[in-house]
Amino acid sequence: MLETRLSRRTFVGGSIVLGALLTNFRFAKAFVAPSLPYRKKKIANIRELKTHKPIMFNYPDEKSPAVLVKIGRPAVGGVGPKKDIVAFSALCSHMGCPIQYSKGRFVCKCHYSMFDPAKNGQTYQGHASEWLPQIRLKVDRRGNIYAEAVEGLIWGRIINLLPR
Amino acid sequence: MALFARKDRLPIPPKDAERVTTVCQYCNVGCGYDVYKWPVGKDGGKKPSENALGIDFTKQRVALQGQSIVENMHTVVTGKDGRQYNVLVIPSKASPVNRGNYSIRGGTNAQATYAPSKPTRNRLHYPLLRVGDQFQPISWDEAIDIIARVVKGVKDRWGPDSIAMKCHDHGGSGQGFEDNWAVGKFFFIAVGTRMLSIHNRPAYNSEVWGQRERGAHELNYTREDAWLADTIVLWGANSFETASVFYTEYMLPNLQGATIGKKRKVYRRGEPAEAGRMIVVDPRRTASVAVAEDVAPGRVLHLRPNLGTDYVLANAIARAIYEKGWHDERFIRRRTDLKTFEDYKKKSLMLDVPYDEFMRKVERLTGVSRGDIEKAAEWIAKPKRRRYRRRTLIIYEKGVIWGYKNYDTIASIAQIAALTGNYGKPGTGCGRQGGHQEGYVRPHSRSRAKLVGSVYAGGPPPNIDEYVKQNLNAKVYFVSATDPYLSTPNAQAYKKRVHERTFALTKFLSEYAATAGEPAGPEERARRILEGLGKTEGLFLVVLNMYQTEVGRDAHIILPAAGWGETPETSINCNSRLLRLYDKFVDPPGDAKPDWWIWGRIATRMKELYEAEGNYEEAKYCSGMDWKTAAEVFEDGASEFPDNRVSRADEAKLPAECYKGVTHDLLRRLGQKGIQTPVRIDPKTGRPVGTKRRYTYKFGTPDGKWKWYGTDPWDPDPKKFYPHQITKYFRGDNERKFPFWFTNGRTQIFWQTGYNDRYLPEKVYTIPMPYIEMNYRDAERLGIKSGDIVEVYNMEGNCVAVVYVNDSPPPGTVFGIMYRFHESLNHLTTSYTDPKTTIPWYKGSRVGIRKLPGRLESVIKYTSFLPINDFS
Ligand code: SF4
Ligand code: FES
Repeated sequence: MLETRLSRRTFVGGSIVLGALLTNFRFAKAFVAPSLPYRKKKIANIRELKTHKPIMFNYPDEKSPAVLVKIGRPAVGGVGPKKDIVAFSALCSHMGCPIQYSKGRFVCKCHYSMFDPAKNGQTYQGHASEWLPQIRLKVDRRGNIYAEAVEGLIWGRIINLLPR
Repeated sequence: MALFARKDRLPIPPKDAERVTTVCQYCNVGCGYDVYKWPVGKDGGKKPSENALGIDFTKQRVALQGQSIVENMHTVVTGKDGRQYNVLVIPSKASPVNRGNYSIRGGTNAQATYAPSKPTRNRLHYPLLRVGDQFQPISWDEAIDIIARVVKGVKDRWGPDSIAMKCHDHGGSGQGFEDNWAVGKFFFIAVGTRMLSIHNRPAYNSEVWGQRERGAHELNYTREDAWLADTIVLWGANSFETASVFYTEYMLPNLQGATIGKKRKVYRRGEPAEAGRMIVVDPRRTASVAVAEDVAPGRVLHLRPNLGTDYVLANAIARAIYEKGWHDERFIRRRTDLKTFEDYKKKSLMLDVPYDEFMRKVERLTGVSRGDIEKAAEWIAKPKRRRYRRRTLIIYEKGVIWGYKNYDTIASIAQIAALTGNYGKPGTGCGRQGGHQEGYVRPHSRSRAKLVGSVYAGGPPPNIDEYVKQNLNAKVYFVSATDPYLSTPNAQAYKKRVHERTFALTKFLSEYAATAGEPAGPEERARRILEGLGKTEGLFLVVLNMYQTEVGRDAHIILPAAGWGETPETSINCNSRLLRLYDKFVDPPGDAKPDWWIWGRIATRMKELYEAEGNYEEAKYCSGMDWKTAAEVFEDGASEFPDNRVSRADEAKLPAECYKGVTHDLLRRLGQKGIQTPVRIDPKTGRPVGTKRRYTYKFGTPDGKWKWYGTDPWDPDPKKFYPHQITKYFRGDNERKFPFWFTNGRTQIFWQTGYNDRYLPEKVYTIPMPYIEMNYRDAERLGIKSGDIVEVYNMEGNCVAVVYVNDSPPPGTVFGIMYRFHESLNHLTTSYTDPKTTIPWYKGSRVGIRKLPGRLESVIKYTSFLPINDFS
């Protein structure tokens, strides 16, 4: 750190404060999701989906359960003609228990956090200080739904993509 | 698409990261947290041997067992050396309290730290002086000099009672024993005023004299008792939301039957040990009820009394217990005062009134059925198989503390526990859940003003809200670490009047300056202020806080205070009186200072001013506050406690907070383990020892016996039962105009006024404005849907709120969040205070409701309106 700052000052002529701000700015940007090379993964076809019938899948890898569901009401980040298809990490963002889909929302029975799938995974009740990480979806012309990235840190990881 | 920036990775603390032990700054539970700090760019590696946590970050961690590290637990701060540091604040697995668990509030502790590039940049940096309609930064020396001169001048001319205050008395939230001691020394000794009030209420009082005057401090159980109890009673306490981890780590496992093994270990041989039961007394179907029912169907009893009738209900449960012979005869004989027991039987249990008639009256007033009352009696007191006594833990909080007739209500509940022998044994106890953590130590023994207790102990204490509003002898008003413009009862009337009075002084000073120019220095400024206070109805307002607040708008001087993690502080939690050190790991913003330093500086300046005029007597009272470190203040505070070299049984005689013999250094060594107060010095070893559970041998009265109390008579007719502040709403057309009962409370989502939370996008989206909850039936009748905007109003004031339609409040009652960020539903509370204690009744008022035309589209779009009390 010290060396970088000195060299910045020596060569660029900028102030120490500016140097610090730049570091902070770069740092802040660097970790904003999606900051990692997520791979695209096909989950399902739109025609297979029934409202309130969740589909389990793993994303971005086998150790990370996720859930796709058509919730029957428009959702933040929803895809499909009604913008009501969403996907989330299925590990509770509180302490990692599996979440359940019922009555149009996710409930974790470990400490009873509840997340609203229509509102970006909002913790509208319970202990989880993070909203449920939402999975970015894309639908192609044939109606295939792809997972593209995870927005938010998956519980139990320091980085969403584990080394293989 | 995310509504705000999310992260998908975090930096890893290296092996040599700086480590500090702390405790959550928010609620009463006091979960332990570990802090790691290291320079940006110097991250550790993913292998266990490469990082400070010893965690294998190449693998997915196991749910519940693995360390939680979530996005909000990380931040970047700037050190005094100008360098950037990563800070990780994670729930401590080493903490005996939370064992790695945390809540939606504590999970964001890291975000509360100051950083110039984050919203916490809104923290106050410098002392501010009002000049006309603006605030100007000034130096500490200037600010302290002005305040000291004004306080001294006012005191000399109008007497010490012309100085009033409203200050924190709790721990946590950046406060603790250190700041409390400094506040106490300043007002009790240096100033010597009686015009004191506590942050969340209009007077200087205990909220639970009804229990204390019986001989038991309200923090008597230990958190493990919630594992061990046969029955847990939550009375006016929505613990799932307001003591989150205490509920999920202690009460839930008991209801699930997961603690039967623990029970077997401490129960007597042959004593039945089963999964716990829960009784919730709350007009609302709270999340605490709903979660319990999901976990333990058939073992949850929910009693929903009409607002303010809790003391009648408590006495009725006690009467049912007595009637069935389920009281603890042996305990009553050995541990309680039999003389006053007669009074209790007559007045509280009303044994003169035949049981059937008594129950009919109770049903009429409380709205709770006799069947449910008797079931509660059974669950609390009916002996178990083989005649073992049932172990019941009764936890109560603001629903009753801030109810009608505070003294009688608290006494009635505390007496159920005495009647059934539920003090001092594993799995028993009766006390507060707590709101904040605690950390009270004040120089009562050396106070120059006589402080009073309840009406039975020289009181009640004066209502300072009213004093400041109405009595022009009030000249200086200090408000510290609270925002009464949101939080005081009847807040709208209060802020209007405080504004008028502070503005009168501002106007005087502005007009003076318009003809004579701005004052040449602090001495001249103080002289003008004193003149203005004499010539107008003016009030000089000094506000101490971390942020600009609502009340701060009307301040004349604002002093920037250091917060959590910015100075070492000590507090105890509420559910086990666990004393720990909340160590420093970041610097305060700008020139902000610890509260104890600020009070000490003002007193010391007053001392110099008195010395300069040769008044050594007064100077003496202002001395001894020139502290240099927090540790020094802590040790100074210990001088207030009595000799604690006492036997185990005599813990009952010690103040609940007694920490004599403990130092910051010792606490630093004890770390998360801490020590449970009251601390004794073991007469044999000479070492400090904690107290796990209180009153095992005797109560805190001169003879060690519990003192019974007979409550006031009551009328089963609501129109005669309630005070005039409520019955006025039953008169004439008012019943039609204000058809709803109104009660208020908190949400799990954010802490207090959201002073930190208001800068977090999650919180702003989730609670975008003040809200009310309304029952489906009422909503349908009024054509109101979730997300609609309504005006709630009555003869006290009004507030606009968004509606959640659910089955939490009963039909005919609406619930409102007490306050949020800038707005307050406390506008609707009446000015009623209990004549015995001066504790307000926040939880009961009458209101009308009007739907506003149109909705707020962003609120509908981004906020969840799903029912917060349905987990099935
Ligand atoms: S339960 Fe209370 S003490 Fe524990 S993390 Fe939450 S707010 Fe903090
Ligand atoms: S793990 Fe889901 S609420 Fe705790």
